[in-house]
Amino acid sequence: MKLSCLQENLDRGLNVVGRAVAVRTTLPITNNVLLATDKSRLKLSATNLEMAISCWIGAKVEEEGAITVPARLLSEFISSLPSEKVDINLSPQTKTLGLKCARFEARISGVDAKDFPPIPRVEGGIATKVEVEALRQAIGQVAFAAATEESRPVLTGVDAEFDGDTLTLAAADGFRLAVYKLPLAQAVSQKTEVIIPARTLAELNRLMADQEEAVEITVNPEKGQALFRLKDIELVSQLIQGSFPNYSQLIPKKFNTKAVISVADFLRATKTASIFARDGSGIVRLVVAPGGEMTPGKVTVSARSEEIGDDVGDIDAMVEGEEAKIAFNGKYLTDVLSVLHEAQVALETTNPSSPGVLKPVGSDNYIHVVMPMFVQW
Amino acid sequence: MARRIMHIDLDAFFVSVEQVADPSLKGKPVVVGGRPQGRGVVAAASYEARAFGLRSGMPLVTASRLCPQAIFIQGSFPKYRDASEKFMAILADFSPYLEPMGLDEAYLDATGFESLHGSIKQMALKIKQRVKKELGLNASIGIASGKVIAKVASEMSKPDGLLEVAAGKERAFLAPLPIARLPGIGQKTEPKLKSLGIDTIGKLSAMPPKALKSHFGASGEVLQRFASGIDDREVEPPAAAKSTSRETTFSQDTKDPAMLESTLRYLGERVGADLRQKGKRARCVTLKLRYGDFTTITRRRTLSQSTDSDQAIFETGQGLLKRALTGEKRAVRLIGIGVSELVEAGRQLDMMDGSAQRQEQLNKAIDRIRKKYGFTAIQTGRTLKLKDVFAGGGKGYSLNTPSLSR
Repeated sequence: MKLSCLQENLDRGLNVVGRAVAVRTTLPITNNVLLATDKSRLKLSATNLEMAISCWIGAKVEEEGAITVPARLLSEFISSLPSEKVDINLSPQTKTLGLKCARFEARISGVDAKDFPPIPRVEGGIATKVEVEALRQAIGQVAFAAATEESRPVLTGVDAEFDGDTLTLAAADGFRLAVYKLPLAQAVSQKTEVIIPARTLAELNRLMADQEEAVEITVNPEKGQALFRLKDIELVSQLIQGSFPNYSQLIPKKFNTKAVISVADFLRATKTASIFARDGSGIVRLVVAPGGEMTPGKVTVSARSEEIGDDVGDIDAMVEGEEAKIAFNGKYLTDVLSVLHEAQVALETTNPSSPGVLKPVGSDNYIHVVMPMFVQW
Repeated sequence: MARRIMHIDLDAFFVSVEQVADPSLKGKPVVVGGRPQGRGVVAAASYEARAFGLRSGMPLVTASRLCPQAIFIQGSFPKYRDASEKFMAILADFSPYLEPMGLDEAYLDATGFESLHGSIKQMALKIKQRVKKELGLNASIGIASGKVIAKVASEMSKPDGLLEVAAGKERAFLAPLPIARLPGIGQKTEPKLKSLGIDTIGKLSAMPPKALKSHFGASGEVLQRFASGIDDREVEPPAAAKSTSRETTFSQDTKDPAMLESTLRYLGERVGADLRQKGKRARCVTLKLRYGDFTTITRRRTLSQSTDSDQAIFETGQGLLKRALTGEKRAVRLIGIGVSELVEAGRQLDMMDGSAQRQEQLNKAIDRIRKKYGFTAIQTGRTLKLKDVFAGGGKGYSLNTPSLSR
């Protein structure tokens, strides 16, 4: 293998695949990055066996070849080089990768590319496209609600239902549920439901940050893996096996109290209260009071801690229905309020021990359900 | 103003409480701790028993050999806790600057209280009278300018004594005393000091600081300050409890997982009941194990949601236990479980799993039954195994040193 490429391209490529490099692993080669010539480009790949990322960068290839080298070492070395041309030369006998840039020269011992775990080919099942902006927003508003504990593996994933020209993403950790509907740029032929690890989607969101073209999504017929294809980047992810809870029955169909509030005001009041709730269980108490004929309704957001003190904040609200008292973990409220783009949100509640529902005003494609905390008032 | 610190210590506390409950025990050698053939230790011995050389912490077997005629009592912690609470309440009537040390002793800052009682000594006498009248117990009191001197003084005055060390006389008071009298000098430090020719507190105070530091490090400096009668430590009222735990020593070291798990379950239920009584929930569960060779380990896990449920505490502890014992060859001598990171009550409801709510109701119902009929009136299947191991009493299982098994 003999080629040359630009330091900045190689640096960017290594950054792209770096997040798929295994951290703690029993398979040492997954700490390595695979470098392989692919026609007139250099292909970089990394995998932690759950997720694999490949990235292609422009190169002047003189001799074909492939090798794997420790990812972190290579990445740190390349990022400290000046932005000039890098000459890469593999000595096949010693499996040593020689790198030359400006007046720096390095040799890195590698491991045979044949030992690198094969990245699964994903083809044959459904294939579709989604606009980058829509997908980024959907992932941003859904993925954080997935469980981080492994006690129920399906909940660590995001449920993705492809149906006609609609994609529905849903995540739940037992305490909250987020559901987002978005259009597919290319309809699917058959309805398909898969569970994508939330970590994969978080990574995909990062990779989409500087992309403009629609993302291609392919799921193989066995629903074992999914492929996300971006410009010069491919992400292949294992899918979580199992069945996702039937969440539509968890969304309350009616409410006793509905308050329409400014998202910014609600977020500020919740964050302020959370400071006082920090030492407790994060309990933030809401009292929703309907207005009179001449006065607006309001939502009172409060928190108290035996040892520290307490905090009370009032927000104007348009209230429909009866007075309501309900307590939530402040983090669950700030998590959802921080990702809403709309100016106003509607909070619907039934009673202190039934789920509260948050819906952004002016768009009907997102719904967020939060279970309350049972407290003494 | 010169500080006046009081150290109040109840004489032979556990034994005295037993003697108040059963006056026929008065004037006899009495040992609280458990059955003389058991593996427990002496938790307390009456002055009559001490005449035979019995001391707290001594194995019961040794105690029964030294004093075969001693009356051995199992003791019960709740009884002592009640007496202790009343004792502390009396002290709290005299000064809010109160620092309880264990069940039967406390420091009290009496600075400036002279005018209320005539003198600090008068105040101490009033405390002694009230303790005697209301609890039937003897208290010994030391008064001095600092905690450590006050403690030495109360110790010297026992039994039923009162000793005040005048301001400025601290050093002279301490100087002739043997070094073992000074708190902080224990079984390790004492022989070391003696080998250096230091046998009185006065000699310790006169020792060159450099030499002391080279032998005992930073703690040498503190010891010397104490020996010189200098102790500026404040009397600190206790902060709210930040954790709660229970532990017990097995009568025989064990590797039997069923035995370990049922004991863990029992201790976990005690911890859970404590938490619920306090109206708190915990975020962290800690397992403690001591092996036959006295190596002690602790393993902890932080929960994503706070809990006060017996089931969650036990299951977390059980997980930690399984991991700790994987590949472990040593038998277990002691097991304990505790919770920390206590937060105020308030349970996060789950949208898919209602079991937490059912458990909460179950625990509440069990708590009510136990409050009325005693802890063993109702037990979970997991702890049934213990019934054969520990002699069942009316008020709970008796562990090895029942008086120490809270």
